[in-house]
Amino acid sequence: MKTVLIVDDEPVVRRVLKLALEQARYEVFCASNGEEALALVRDSQPDVLITDIEMPRMSGETLCKKLCGELPERKFPIFVVTSVTAIEHREWSRDLPNVMFLEKPISARKLLASLKDYFSGTPAQEAC
Amino acid sequence: MSKLKSKHDWKNERLGLTMIGASLLVIGLIIALMFHYQRTAREDAINAQGVSLARVLSGMDYAELVPAPGQRGILHAIGYRQDDADFAYAAIVDTSGALLAEVASPGTIIPKIQPSAEPVSWLGTRTVTLGAKEVNEFYAPVFQDGILSGHLRLGYFKPSFGPSYEQLPFLATLALPIFLLTPLFYLLIRREVKPLRQANDEIEGLLREGSFQKVDISASGELGEFVTNFNGFIELTNARIKELESDQTRLLTSTKLLTYKKSRVEAILEGFPETVLVMDESGIVNFANGKTRTLLGMPAEEILGRKAEEWCEHPEILAYLSHCTGGGAGRYASQSVEFSPVNAPEKTISLMAYPLFSPQDASAVFGSLLVFRDVTLEILAKRSRGEFVAHVAHELKTPLNTLALYSESLQGESGESEEFRVEATNVISDEVERLSDLINNLLSITKIEMGSLGIERKRVRLRELLEDSFETVSRGAASQTMKFELDLPHDLSAVAVDKDLLRIAINNLLTNAVKYNKSDGTVTLSAEETDQTIWISVADTGIGIAPEEKDRIFDKFYRSDSGEVRERAGHGLGLSLANDIVKLHNGSLSVESKLNAGSEFVIGLWKDSTTIQQAI
Repeated sequence: MKTVLIVDDEPVVRRVLKLALEQARYEVFCASNGEEALALVRDSQPDVLITDIEMPRMSGETLCKKLCGELPERKFPIFVVTSVTAIEHREWSRDLPNVMFLEKPISARKLLASLKDYFSGTPAQEAC
Repeated sequence: MSKLKSKHDWKNERLGLTMIGASLLVIGLIIALMFHYQRTAREDAINAQGVSLARVLSGMDYAELVPAPGQRGILHAIGYRQDDADFAYAAIVDTSGALLAEVASPGTIIPKIQPSAEPVSWLGTRTVTLGAKEVNEFYAPVFQDGILSGHLRLGYFKPSFGPSYEQLPFLATLALPIFLLTPLFYLLIRREVKPLRQANDEIEGLLREGSFQKVDISASGELGEFVTNFNGFIELTNARIKELESDQTRLLTSTKLLTYKKSRVEAILEGFPETVLVMDESGIVNFANGKTRTLLGMPAEEILGRKAEEWCEHPEILAYLSHCTGGGAGRYASQSVEFSPVNAPEKTISLMAYPLFSPQDASAVFGSLLVFRDVTLEILAKRSRGEFVAHVAHELKTPLNTLALYSESLQGESGESEEFRVEATNVISDEVERLSDLINNLLSITKIEMGSLGIERKRVRLRELLEDSFETVSRGAASQTMKFELDLPHDLSAVAVDKDLLRIAINNLLTNAVKYNKSDGTVTLSAEETDQTIWISVADTGIGIAPEEKDRIFDKFYRSDSGEVRERAGHGLGLSLANDIVKLHNGSLSVESKLNAGSEFVIGLWKDSTTIQQAI
């Protein structure tokens, strides 16, 4: 069973996504901010990381950069959920491998579809 | 004055002396000529006399000429008769030159001369020197019975140049009138000249005083005419001067007026809050108002009279200004250019160039008006607006996110669970309420900040308002164990406030007090009245606020990073709005807090309505 780590400070988001993913037979772990997430990843790497950007203590951007720094051979993809659509706000991710963007409001359906595509090997699309 | 006078006198004396000299000269000349003429005449007379006498005597008998001893000859008669000074001697000499008879003037010795034997030289004249004098001698032969027996010698002194005694009276008679006439003429001339001298004096006086007045002398003849003309000239000049003076006054007035207008215009330009420069077609700055220092970092003197390249280092500005030179309004940029001055890199200045059209010819451009504005604040405002919009979008998307997720889940598998349906419905309903609150708060804040919120001041019974809010919030609190305390004085004064707005502020404080409280905490609403103010306090025993964040909690959208805060849903607008509303009432909003112990927010309101009115 594939493991998914959801990082979001909104409890509602964590709850709903966890529910949806569990229904799709994923094992779900949650973290409410980047620090927690980093600790969990160091502990054991998930198969997918889904993270919000605007979080207290450590933002999603910092989390991604740190992960890429600490794990140069990271295998798992990072899906970043963002409410800003402008391209320039994604500039920071350009040199980071395997980082994709999902737009708010998140659709659980679309998220599942993206994951399915990723794991089945079809080329990852910019979702939403 | 005396110097002047003596100068005049000296001139006059010179004239007089000249005249005297001239007359003396004339007299002398006349006399000299006269003497000369006289001498010549005498000489001729003597010649004639001598020659004729000599002939006569020569023709006479020898016996008469040469008297017997003891008798007087004719010579004596001649001698005594000739009593003019010219007669020198008369003598008869024999052929050897020896004197036979003689008569001579006193003191004269007859010179001995050997007569010539040539008959040609028996008759003639010769000059004989007698001591210092010269004698004209006339000689003729004397015949006796046709034979030369001797010679006759008549000597006359040559007349000298000079006066004779008889002539002296004549000379005196001649000299005297002349001498008398001279001063007479002199005096006459002086008299004629006197008015001229007067005129001259007067004119000199006028010149010295620098004023133009008529000359007051009486004179006749040509001088009189001159004086009249001169006075006429003076009058004309005076009139002309008056004309010029009045022209000058008018000119001065209009120049003053122009200067005044110009300085008014310049003062207007100086009064501009912006820096204003006027550049001519060639790019030289010929006006700069006093604000150059603030925006350009240079005093006006360094810019005046210079071209842009000399005082500006920014290439963008130089490029922008290059459109302004070279005539033609068409090349002017339609937009402004922005730059940061070297001396104040944190500022942003915008420059806009406007063509200046010539008033006579609307198509001709005679220069450019350059207006520099400090747009730092504008840009900051724009940026903060942008940030605000971004924040708002973000805040709106979050509840929408939740709504989307739940509603999507309801449509899926999870929706089959009754439990989940209940949960979803609750969440959706909460989020909708949150969203609606958020939107209302945003609208209020925007209106307040744009100043378009219509404030309605009414005297409100505060007690009622506070009780109402308290009631609503305490009833709506989710936690059952939370305690609510109300502590209001019995007779709280009525205050002129905007009821709705104040209610929002109180509500926000109360909901915060509930939200950030412990589940068994306490929320207290109290009020206190002093002479001039009413204090309203909302206190809680909740998570508190860190000291370094106390200032920031009133910022829009600010929420503490602490987990305690982030756990609780919120937009960060409640306190900001409450603060704005209190400020609108010219009141104060302050906070005291201790982490983990609780916070107390206090609103201070002025009782005096005029104070409130001034603010509102």
